[in-house]
Amino acid sequence: MSRWLHRGYAGCVYAFLYLPLVVVAVFSFNSSKYSLAWKGFTLDWYVRLWQNSGLMTTAFNSLLIAAASATLATLLGTVAAFVLHRYRFPGRRTLFGTLFVMMMSPDIVIALSLLLLFLALSLPLGFSTLLLAHTVLCVPFVATTVFSRFVGFPDDLVDAARDLGAGEYQVFRHIVLPLASPAVAGGWLLSFTLSLDDVIISFFTTGPDFEVLPLRIYSMVRLGIKPDVNALCVVMMAVTVTALVLSKHLLKEKK
Amino acid sequence: MKTILRGFRLALFAVMAAVSSGNAADKVLNLYIWSEYIPEQVLADFTRETGITVNISTYDSNEAMYAKLKLVGKGYDLVVPSSDYVGLMRRQGMLLPLDTKKISNFAKVDPKFVNQSFDPGNAYSVPYMWGSTALAVNTSLLPAETVQKTADLWKPELKGRLLLPNDPREVMGIGLKTLGYSINEKDPEHLRQAYEKLRTLMPLVRVFDSDSPKQALLSGEVAVGLVWNGEAYTANNENRAIRYVYPPEGFSLWVDSFCIPRGAANIESAYRFIDYILQPKVSAAISESMGYSSPIAGVSEFLPEAMRANPIVNPSAQDTARGEFLDSLDESTLKLYEQYWIKLKTK
Amino acid sequence: MKNNTLFRRLLIGATWAWMALLALVPYLMLVGASFFERGTDTLVRPGLTLSNYLHLLSPTVFTMAADSVALAAVAALLCLLVGYPFAAILAHAPARIQPLLLLLVMIPFWTNSLIRTYALVMLLKADGVVNSLLLHAGLIAEPLRLMYTPVAVFIGLVYTLLPFMILPLYAALKTVDPQLLEAGRDLGAGRVRNFLHITVPLTMPGIIAGTMLVFLPALGMFYIADILGGARTMLVGNYIRDQFLVFRDIPTGSAASVTMTVAMGLLLVLHHLARRRSGKEMLP
Repeated sequence: MSRWLHRGYAGCVYAFLYLPLVVVAVFSFNSSKYSLAWKGFTLDWYVRLWQNSGLMTTAFNSLLIAAASATLATLLGTVAAFVLHRYRFPGRRTLFGTLFVMMMSPDIVIALSLLLLFLALSLPLGFSTLLLAHTVLCVPFVATTVFSRFVGFPDDLVDAARDLGAGEYQVFRHIVLPLASPAVAGGWLLSFTLSLDDVIISFFTTGPDFEVLPLRIYSMVRLGIKPDVNALCVVMMAVTVTALVLSKHLLKEKK
Repeated sequence: MKTILRGFRLALFAVMAAVSSGNAADKVLNLYIWSEYIPEQVLADFTRETGITVNISTYDSNEAMYAKLKLVGKGYDLVVPSSDYVGLMRRQGMLLPLDTKKISNFAKVDPKFVNQSFDPGNAYSVPYMWGSTALAVNTSLLPAETVQKTADLWKPELKGRLLLPNDPREVMGIGLKTLGYSINEKDPEHLRQAYEKLRTLMPLVRVFDSDSPKQALLSGEVAVGLVWNGEAYTANNENRAIRYVYPPEGFSLWVDSFCIPRGAANIESAYRFIDYILQPKVSAAISESMGYSSPIAGVSEFLPEAMRANPIVNPSAQDTARGEFLDSLDESTLKLYEQYWIKLKTK
Repeated sequence: MKNNTLFRRLLIGATWAWMALLALVPYLMLVGASFFERGTDTLVRPGLTLSNYLHLLSPTVFTMAADSVALAAVAALLCLLVGYPFAAILAHAPARIQPLLLLLVMIPFWTNSLIRTYALVMLLKADGVVNSLLLHAGLIAEPLRLMYTPVAVFIGLVYTLLPFMILPLYAALKTVDPQLLEAGRDLGAGRVRNFLHITVPLTMPGIIAGTMLVFLPALGMFYIADILGGARTMLVGNYIRDQFLVFRDIPTGSAASVTMTVAMGLLLVLHHLARRRSGKEMLP
């Protein structure tokens, strides 16, 4: 009895989480343009999407910024995790604290503080500012992912290497990095999805000549629903799910 | 610290240069314009004819456009403020002077719209479209006689069925008009009275939307909206029950003009775009597609008969007489409008 | 040896450099701007004033902030009520399928939240899926008013943020030792008492973490209030955005951001204390 109740409840929550997404997916295949009535299966909207060069450029921009900021964030985050794990130095706690505050800060605060920085440096808003902003968003997540991998790390291995005369760089390059690589890759994918998911930071830190998808969708939602947006949403969901499944897979290997 | 910052900036510029070098210089135009204000087809045709790619960003109020330019400054080549903001931005030195001699089609602008008080001699602006802001009523949801004048908006049966633009001047404008004042009112006492009047309207409002109010009207989400005439025109085309009412108390008229903001990078592109849009044929196509009125003389020969006779796009002389053009306000008065607007919105 | 020191210094230096430039300096600029005066030509005028903070105490802003906090709190409560039983069911599901069930929670969570908001619009419109189905089934005579209402904002916030609640609750519930509950039962405690006196206290860190992870973003998600609330419901995020992007009042916008961050910091300290009391080390 209660087992069925449990299943039913869990089913309802899953339905709540998935129903809207399913609706979008279903309508991306509906040949009716405006009404909700099912008028038959079509792939037209996907073709239209492919032909809509403006929308494709925007999608490409989003993927570009996600890949670039994930790479930069992975680099900085891995180094930060290594430094925090291995070295003791003045200001270490401040670094920890800053990372934690960065992770917990509301997006709008990160966005505005960076906007002020960019204005003060009079950097024109666009690709570079958005890249920096998304990197700042992602670094703490990479750092904590990699750091938690270092905890319970075979320290004796590092010590042994040092005894055998390996320098700090060799230790980092040949022992630490390979051992941490699943977490590093997981951190990259996490950053990639974080960047794709972001709305608020993009809203404030990009300029007119570098539009990204969330902003495009934002204006499209406000201007009314069109079927090629449904198709676009489905494609984006597919990209995200792939990245997510991959990152899960990579992070699981450590166990 | 300063050297680090400078080095950092240099590195960034290098990255940016590498990224942007793909685009040949002056082959793009960053257009900053009201949402739903220019057909995609026109942009595509322009690109095909000139090879200039148009990056379009949109805003839903003059205030937002003005704030973005103040804040970011660079990056936009062409903006389309309403006349009151042309005056303000001109006075603040935010615009580059325009050489109308470089715009061959400038002579085609109807003399009615040339050399206006907000920009004498068109030194900074060239008109794009003009129109009105009045009441769209869905007569299949409400008897037509329920809303015939602005004062009717306060009727209790409109609770939760009213749409207003996200725009301080227009919303304050209906408050002022119902009290019999000008929409360009400067008297602080009159403004306060309008605010008090509007406060009682706020509980009836379902949504503030200047982007695409026709959506809420067409889906039946709201029954009455204070909208731009172009929105009413499109809504009316899809649903004849949606009618556009010019209220007897008066209503606002406006002209939106092309301006080149200081900090524009692609000035030649901007000139070409203006010149392209001013062609009677193109202007007529925009007017027909968007439902706003063209300020170009001689567009009517390119417009279908139904369009020429449509009172939403071309109000009768009798209706137009009750309209009042939105004028430029001085900064301290603008600030008053702004303060009342924040109060209305946050309440 | 020299190389080692160099390598070490290089890494520490690099980490510090970007952190200082991209995290500390911007935060300090935000704090700085919040004490400046609003300029007419330039955006801010150097000066030292508390008026921006005092401005936040004016009745209109205060009411807005209080409403927004209440809205976010109710959204967090709703997430907790929906999420707790769900997380418990997940934690007791067969171990073999738990990863899959978790992944299914994560997928919507990683889908762009604007896409999900957009999906909700398709459901909630007057001529949307929900109303069409209800009308079709004859359950209602005319479309329900869903869009542009506070209810729509709640649905949007809960829908977007629910996974943030489920994941920490699940993690906390996994740590509850079933033997403890058994011991409780042996001592004659009923299910309710067991739940209230054993499960809830043991999962308190998860409850607090989940509540914060929902509550804090809920204050800032201006686009949900815009799209689903018809720009009628103001969240703190809408207010801050409008200060920057409509009214050009950077000092007041900054003061509001700083206040929000400080409030968040206080909540974090509470969280820290709660975790310490329950005997767990806080992450970094």
